[in-house]
Amino acid sequence: MKTREPLDAYDAELDGLRVHDAPPARVEQIRARCLATLAAKRRRLSQPPVSRPAWLGWLEPAVALGLSACYLAAAIGTALQLAHVMRIAQVLPR
Amino acid sequence: MEREIELRLVARLKAGDAAAFEAIYEAYRPRLFSFLVRLSRRRDVAEDLLEETWLRLVARAGELRDDTCVAAWLFTVARHLFLSWCRHRALDDWRLSDLTPSWPAPAAGETPFEAAARGQTERRLEIALAQLSTHDRELLLLVSVEGFTPGEAAAALDLAPEALRKRLQRARERLAEAMEVTSRTRQAKAG
Repeated sequence: MKTREPLDAYDAELDGLRVHDAPPARVEQIRARCLATLAAKRRRLSQPPVSRPAWLGWLEPAVALGLSACYLAAAIGTALQLAHVMRIAQVLPR
Repeated sequence: MEREIELRLVARLKAGDAAAFEAIYEAYRPRLFSFLVRLSRRRDVAEDLLEETWLRLVARAGELRDDTCVAAWLFTVARHLFLSWCRHRALDDWRLSDLTPSWPAPAAGETPFEAAARGQTERRLEIALAQLSTHDRELLLLVSVEGFTPGEAAAALDLAPEALRKRLQRARERLAEAMEVTSRTRQAKAG
């Protein structure tokens, strides 16, 4: 992959600049981290997908819906009781 | 690296092949580090960005296109990480130049004799490069040092090809000016 631009006065020198490298310990540290990441990815890919029972598909939303309905009914019941008590309080002579 | 070999390595890397990673790592690591250290002018920053770039590659290996050019991908990501690093620290060129640069400096393990024997032109070139703006430096590093074609460099730098040509011309002129200044400074010190 060499440049196709016309060379200018310093291009040859720039092209010949020395290549440097990170310290060996750092090079190894980066290598180890990358290989560990790759190995983890390979493990994830090789694991068979966990199969969920079909009934879980409808049970979860049904339970959530049931609990929500109970909560809503309790809230409405409490509100109605409160309204009833307040109406009685207004009717009673002071 | 030959294109066919590169494409095969990309395909193997996408499948999580450790040997393919090793081959790419060995082929591009020193070039990438040289680019980052000259771009950031700090060894510690270059090492951190180098690590982040390689971790990005393995994390996103599965998403690589079959015809990915690894060098272009790596240098583009490295450049973006450097720009993010600058943004994160709210560093523009002015503030960046206030930081103590650790580059150019004698290479680790280099004896004073070896450092003295190193080409004077190379030393002057490194100093002149370090004095340029980040925009000029990244352009010269990609095109003149790394040998990217104008099209590849334009893609890596998010520039239109025509804009790249103009910027490249100006960057070369500014490098020549910086080299002149470095020469005059040296002569003044010697005299």
